[in-house]
Amino acid sequence: MTNPRLVEGSASAFEERLTRQGVSRREFLKFCGLMAGTLALPARYAGRIAHALETAVRPPVVWLNFQDCTADTESFLRASQPDVDDLLLDILSLNYHETVMVPSGRMSIKSLDDTVRDYAGQYVCVVEGSIPTRDGGVYCGIGGRTALSIAQQVCSQALATLTVGTCAWEGGLAAAVPNPTGAVGVKDAVPGLATLINLPGCPVNVANLTATIVHFLTFQQWPETDETGRPHFAYGDEIHEECPRHEHYEHEEFVREWGDLGHRQGWCLFQMGCRGPEAHHNCPSVKWNDGTEWPIGAGHGCLGCSEQRFWDRHSPFYVPGDD
Amino acid sequence: MPKNFLPIVTKTSEEPPPPPPPSGKVVIDPITRIEGHLRIEVEVQNGRVTDAWSAGTMFRGIELVMQGRDPRDAWIFTQRICGV
Repeated sequence: MTNPRLVEGSASAFEERLTRQGVSRREFLKFCGLMAGTLALPARYAGRIAHALETAVRPPVVWLNFQDCTADTESFLRASQPDVDDLLLDILSLNYHETVMVPSGRMSIKSLDDTVRDYAGQYVCVVEGSIPTRDGGVYCGIGGRTALSIAQQVCSQALATLTVGTCAWEGGLAAAVPNPTGAVGVKDAVPGLATLINLPGCPVNVANLTATIVHFLTFQQWPETDETGRPHFAYGDEIHEECPRHEHYEHEEFVREWGDLGHRQGWCLFQMGCRGPEAHHNCPSVKWNDGTEWPIGAGHGCLGCSEQRFWDRHSPFYVPGDD
Repeated sequence: MPKNFLPIVTKTSEEPPPPPPPSGKVVIDPITRIEGHLRIEVEVQNGRVTDAWSAGTMFRGIELVMQGRDPRDAWIFTQRICGV
């Protein structure tokens, strides 16, 4: 990056910031190991990741909320092992995010405009929530402008756009039948973006968002994706194949009623509507709530929330799907 | 009282009079540090708010999306009204 405003970081300054936030060297290296694991890289990459994070130029980030429920922001802010959000905020410069920023009104819009102007082609744009297109886009407005117009301006000048959550990817909940507001994802609202990485899920898993950014800072390129723009490391495997209950499926040991013997013994939830066979996501290994649990582990079927049009294709959710 | 005491009031006759209390419309959009999208407009006359309007500036139509669906799914849809 050639922008003089972007200053390359130094290992000592980075370590000082970590110390100030109460993150020990050991915790930091553990985080780097976790990132290597999430990215399906051999453990020896942890050192390379650590070096990259210590010296990386902190890319400016703008986070746009449109037709959203802020759950992706929550996913991002609530992570705590080992303070992933603090680490992320240390390696990024989060210039605009309505939910957490101090300025409001005109001054907040100024932060967005300044970033887009001063760092054109160098900032990362994160989008949360779908973009309504019906009736001129009136169903989502920020600072007197439509979400559609903001997305077209901000995403098109970004180094890369990352969609977090299924809504920003392809419309999600707001786009479910009958799609009252003409909601679409970024790929349809701003077609032809050079770099669009989609991180669906309802909500996004912060481990995958963080790992995507860490991958970029470490290798100066974005992770490889499938044809829909979802990174292979996170969306390459079918949940059903990786499911710890898969053996019960093979033996036709199914939960048939909530609380029955099979349910209490952790049998397969397919007959209860589990969409694991239709879903591609790394939930079985990365899990949720700081890596402690995930829906199937807690005894509920998977909704298949990282798949296109899941609100319509996977509902009714408690009726068995295709295997 | 110390010798070098300076009075707090330093107003002299040459100073211009204070500006009149502000009047007009104040718009704050977006309101930040909340979940969702909110716009506030207030009408100010002589430094006092005389009228105010608030508007949620985002609509998804979740009620319309839910019509005709399996009632067992209702919680999964309505849970997404707010993810905070």
